[in-house]
Amino acid sequence: MNLVRAEVERLSARRFVQLMVVLLVLAFGVTAATTLAGSHKPTAEELSSARSQAAEARQSMEDTFQQCLARQNGTLPPSDSEQYFPSDCSEIDPTLRDRLPIAADFLPGVFSFAQQARPLLYFLIAFLVLFGFLVGASYIGADLNSGGVVNLLLWRPRRLTVLGAKLGTLLGGVLTLAVVASVFYLATFWVIGQTAGLGGELGGDFWRSLGAVHGRGMVLVLLASALGFAIATLGRHTSAALGAVAAYAVVWELGARLVLEIVDARRPDQLMLSSYIGAWLSGEARFYDSQLCTGTEIGRYCDGFYTMSWAPGLVVLLVLTGGLTAAAFAVFRRRDLI
Amino acid sequence: MSAVIEIEGLRKTFHSLRNGRRIAVDGFDMLVEAGQVHGFLGPNGSGKTTTLRALLGLVRADSGRMSVLGETSPQRLPRVAGRVGAIVESPQFFGNFTGYRTLRLLARAGGVPITRVDEVLETVGLRDRGDERVKGYSLGMKQRLAVASALLKDPQLLILDEPANGLDPAGIREMRDLMRELAAAGVTVLVSSHILGEIQLICDHVTIISRGRRVATGRVDEVLAGHDRHEFLVRVAEPERAVELLHEAELTASVDGAALVVGGVADPTVISRVLGEQGLWVGELTPLRPDLESVFLELTGAGGHPSVPRQVDDSGRPPGAGDAEIDLDVRGVDA
Repeated sequence: MNLVRAEVERLSARRFVQLMVVLLVLAFGVTAATTLAGSHKPTAEELSSARSQAAEARQSMEDTFQQCLARQNGTLPPSDSEQYFPSDCSEIDPTLRDRLPIAADFLPGVFSFAQQARPLLYFLIAFLVLFGFLVGASYIGADLNSGGVVNLLLWRPRRLTVLGAKLGTLLGGVLTLAVVASVFYLATFWVIGQTAGLGGELGGDFWRSLGAVHGRGMVLVLLASALGFAIATLGRHTSAALGAVAAYAVVWELGARLVLEIVDARRPDQLMLSSYIGAWLSGEARFYDSQLCTGTEIGRYCDGFYTMSWAPGLVVLLVLTGGLTAAAFAVFRRRDLI
Repeated sequence: MSAVIEIEGLRKTFHSLRNGRRIAVDGFDMLVEAGQVHGFLGPNGSGKTTTLRALLGLVRADSGRMSVLGETSPQRLPRVAGRVGAIVESPQFFGNFTGYRTLRLLARAGGVPITRVDEVLETVGLRDRGDERVKGYSLGMKQRLAVASALLKDPQLLILDEPANGLDPAGIREMRDLMRELAAAGVTVLVSSHILGEIQLICDHVTIISRGRRVATGRVDEVLAGHDRHEFLVRVAEPERAVELLHEAELTASVDGAALVVGGVADPTVISRVLGEQGLWVGELTPLRPDLESVFLELTGAGGHPSVPRQVDDSGRPPGAGDAEIDLDVRGVDA
């Protein structure tokens, strides 16, 4: 317990951590301020007009769908016969759409919390993932490099305990900051929506969906922190983690992706870590593969997309992070500290 | 007396792709008993720091047996870590922490009462500078802070690697006094240093290492006595004639500048009697006792020739050393 308390003090006193927190507050402040400045509370007339436009848009979609069905059934009036309709009417079935037009879509200059909360949360999670990775890497990397770890081991000559305390402190600290920051962040934009914009439809489904993204985002932040920590431990230096990520991004995500496309490999996205991150964070991810439709019977619909759910995303991320973390502990246990 | 540190047959080899295999410590033995102030000497790259790091569990030994305060190291080191204060080379601290905060952090991690922080700051002379950031400290002040961190635990055994690094003459003297006080209080001190005069003043025992092997150990006066050639510096009016007379008396003598060096004499009165009987009156008769520096240079072969720059690997190879290359600049090795 004493060790953890000491580590909490070391972590919170690190200049880099303080700098990243300031950047987080700055990014948050700028986003909130620009949102507030660019939004206004809609008047009753604006709301009424927007609702009418949304209703018209929904009706138009329904009409188009019905016309498509009529063409399929051969009952389409000749006056509408030149209009374009897809061969499969389900493509434009309004009931199959992710979302239908709502009033907020027709309120320019009005911030809608229900509409914007998810992308705003993605932005925050992206920042926190970066924060966790960099802090995790620099926390252990600087300590290994400066002799801080050696100093600590002279006091507590239990390597795994010391490294475990560091990792535990890091994950606890990052999670606490991430939860507090995200709750405060969402609450601020909710208040902006209520007072200077539009709250939108904030029913149970909305909060459940937002909560799921938030929960998955927090897990991703923890995994990124552990990953940065593990790679820097293995490489003895903060830059080892940064270099590994940069090399992976350039060599694999960019270079290998190009090569895989050139050789017409099947489902190349399944080989990319970014695909699993996306699938985990958003619940599922869809990827296009032109070869999926090769050999499909003529007349049978094939859009060339395939779906990756969150479950394989989580498995890949856990195996990668868990494996590297275990390797870091194993190496650190036997390493000569000189 | 009970053994506080025991090292038997310690061997450590570093491997790296670039530099290959390098033997850092090659069957090294050491015994430090309770209450000793034990000096640990060796040229650069001789294996001192690797030995201390292995003893403290920071470097994994290839073979050998080590114990600290009766517990096997590194396996059972945690049992006695609370009674061992150590600094190994120049420890680094967070620059933006104050000296006080640095020590408080270590005290907290080690479960030491925070009240000890003020006590050790006072002891090492940093009482009035404890609230300043470490990055503003001089090298000597950082060294004092390192010693303070080692003293925090109120240790029974203090291991200090080059504690006088960066200290000014007054600081060196204070460090010497501090070690004497600690020894008087019953603390066993193992101190490595290049300042041989200091070691001779502070330490009662010494171990000398060269190229990874022990070349001398024992009480300082015994080690020095072992290298005493029983030589005397003699000043006399006619040096050449004096040499002839001493040779006739079967003594070895040679002219050294304006004086004579007479060797192989157990009783110096023989010299004054031989010369006095022939009317040559001795103006000065000084015993030439070896000091630690001369013994160190002789044992380690670190003296070299003034016109040839000595290389790190030029230290003397102790008897029995194999043909394997022995080198110990471990900081440059990717272990």
